[in-house]
Amino acid sequence: MGELNNSTRGGHLRFLAVLALISLVAAVFLLARPVAAREVKAPKESDSTCLGCHGKPGLTKTLSNGEVLLLTIDASHFANTVHAEEGLACQDCHTDITSFPHQDFQANSLREVSLQLYTICQKCHVAQYDKTLDSIHQKQLAAGNFNAAICTDCHNPHVQQRITDPVTGTLLPDARLAIPKTCARCHSAIYQAYKDSIHGSALTDYNNLDVPTCINCHGVHNIQDPTTQSFRNNSPLLCSRCHTDAAIMSKYNLSTQVLNTYVADFHGTTITLFEEAGSNKPSNKPVCFDCHGVHDIKRVDDPQYGIAMKKNLLVKCQVCHPGANANFPSAWMSHYIPSQKVYPLVYYINLFYKFFIPTVLGGMAIFVLSDVFRRLVTKIRGGSLS
Amino acid sequence: MSSKPQFIQRFPIPRRIEHIAMAVSFGMLGLTGLPQKFPTLGFSIFIASLFGGVDNLRIVHHISATVMMLGTGWHILVAGYKIFVKKEPMSMLPGLKDALDAIQVFLHNLGLGKKSPQMGRFNFEEKMEYWAFVWGALVMGLTGFMMWNPLMTLHLLPGEAIPAAKAAHGGEAILAVAAIIIWHMYSVHIKRFNQSMFTGKMSEDVMLHEHALELADLKAGLAGPRVTDPRELRKRKAIYFPIAGFLAVIMLGGVYGFVYGERTAVDTLPPVANSLPVYVPETPTPFATPQPVSLAPGQAPSWVSYIGPLFQEKCTSCHGAMAFGGLSLVSYQDALVGGDHGMDIVPGNSQGSYLVTVHTGGKHYVQLTSEELNNIIRWIDSGAPQQ
Repeated sequence: MGELNNSTRGGHLRFLAVLALISLVAAVFLLARPVAAREVKAPKESDSTCLGCHGKPGLTKTLSNGEVLLLTIDASHFANTVHAEEGLACQDCHTDITSFPHQDFQANSLREVSLQLYTICQKCHVAQYDKTLDSIHQKQLAAGNFNAAICTDCHNPHVQQRITDPVTGTLLPDARLAIPKTCARCHSAIYQAYKDSIHGSALTDYNNLDVPTCINCHGVHNIQDPTTQSFRNNSPLLCSRCHTDAAIMSKYNLSTQVLNTYVADFHGTTITLFEEAGSNKPSNKPVCFDCHGVHDIKRVDDPQYGIAMKKNLLVKCQVCHPGANANFPSAWMSHYIPSQKVYPLVYYINLFYKFFIPTVLGGMAIFVLSDVFRRLVTKIRGGSLS
Repeated sequence: MSSKPQFIQRFPIPRRIEHIAMAVSFGMLGLTGLPQKFPTLGFSIFIASLFGGVDNLRIVHHISATVMMLGTGWHILVAGYKIFVKKEPMSMLPGLKDALDAIQVFLHNLGLGKKSPQMGRFNFEEKMEYWAFVWGALVMGLTGFMMWNPLMTLHLLPGEAIPAAKAAHGGEAILAVAAIIIWHMYSVHIKRFNQSMFTGKMSEDVMLHEHALELADLKAGLAGPRVTDPRELRKRKAIYFPIAGFLAVIMLGGVYGFVYGERTAVDTLPPVANSLPVYVPETPTPFATPQPVSLAPGQAPSWVSYIGPLFQEKCTSCHGAMAFGGLSLVSYQDALVGGDHGMDIVPGNSQGSYLVTVHTGGKHYVQLTSEELNNIIRWIDSGAPQQ
């Protein structure tokens, strides 16, 4: 970042000041937590120089494919960003812009501009950047899909507001509410399904912070391919993170037994053994989202889609069990634990074996022990064992 | 005891093969079944891994079940042959004597009875195990069928039948495996290793203790088939074999229907992909893009009609209020004054104008298109008119 040879304007003094500031900021970023709290600094002198041109509306550059790159930075927007709050100056990120006229910047398309610049983020956000290297987005990018999201697609650095609490590191409520809209920039069809779901509507309509946003299931930065077998096999544990949490579920009068009852069933047993025994073979044994929906999860008592309605559930059954009749959905105990009221036959069979097994085995054991006893006695008395 | 022990033939080879088939299939059923009942236990996961996953575990479970079904069918046909053709006594049927024997042995073990009872070809321990096996095979076969063929089952029964079958299958499995371990293991492996099921023979000495009545019958020539006349035997075979053949076909058909009747609960169909398209970008919010300044064909360029708007569009970011290089191109007057290099625009002399020199050299930061540059040259050469 020190290759400045601009001595015509600004002078060495200003250059050294900028250099010192850049070094200081870089050092702080490398040593401290990436987004650690620091006192808000006044915008740097140098920024006003940049904004002299880039603050003007309509400053553009036409790229060779005809796309127009907007070079205007709205200073009032930037002032609200986390980067401004943290006192970052233009040149902290735009390290290659050291003189005017600027060094030549060649990009054939708007996408190329972003792809050339986004790696700068790792200068400060190395932990997040490294996580993205494991993500499906990076894998897609490496495979030549240039639409795959990079840092700046989700976090436009010129407008990005603070996401996490600087002290606790937890997600700020506003940032949480904004997550689905961020992902929607590329995944708008999925967003539409999510928005109408029980989770999404609670978030978007009621600002409910209990419901999952995209990142609760997919992760953030190291987002994995959700179409893999391992994601599928692990998904029940994903859902159960919230759905076995009594603190959350009690608010909505939901059962926390959904995982137990699922694992106890044939399908859940299969998936459990799949997960743990490390099989990579494809399985179509249903996981939570096969019946409840992926992004379009509805209330189970929703009259049109709810799977508490046997006719709605039957449609799901028939995906894998073509020819299933109306009796079929009841073969799944709908997360109920058998009792005298629900699934009484199952309850009484379990009860029968609860007494039958110890009775039979106990009887056998008593008989066997009596024989052992007789043999020991005979042996001690020195008699023949046969 | 010092004399060479006398052995008595107890089980012919087919019986011994039958036993091995049942023992192996039973063992495999237990080994592959219990992990499915307790899927979260480390032991279950270990077993499933050993088989290369739950799919293989189930395949072995199903094959073992099929072997056991075939073995059971064979056993029924053989039993029929012995009962109806050879008229052998039904030595496996339990009776009052077995109950009394059991009580007597138990009391004797506790020291309350003087003597152990004498017993026949199959003692009460063996009969109990045999009939427990029959009960288990019935329950497991029936409930196994229901889980294997839920569509067929639910044409006759309510949906609850399937989880009920699963509950019974699991309960019975625990009972069967534990009973084999407690009862069978103790009786024939620990108490005294009874090898007759493998060697086919039992010594008279052991017979005397375990099957004294049978030994006595044998010695007296009373044991064995009651039909010995070859003609009578041939006649009975002629009746039994067609019936047995017919039964065999029915049973084989039953096993085939059991195994292949429906496969939706067994086979893995390819998972159905989520149909929502993944990449559907939102239309980005458009920002005001400046209209390109253009000159109507045949129109002569002037400051007002063309040059002024063009400079405003492309140049004044730097050569406006900032006046880079001392040059401002905001107004006609400023433009003609020039900058640090002196006059950038020399009316009538485009070759002498620094603005043209810079742009022709391709060094300037903002590049004009060749059409724009040509229009500027035309304008300068025509005297750089304001109007």
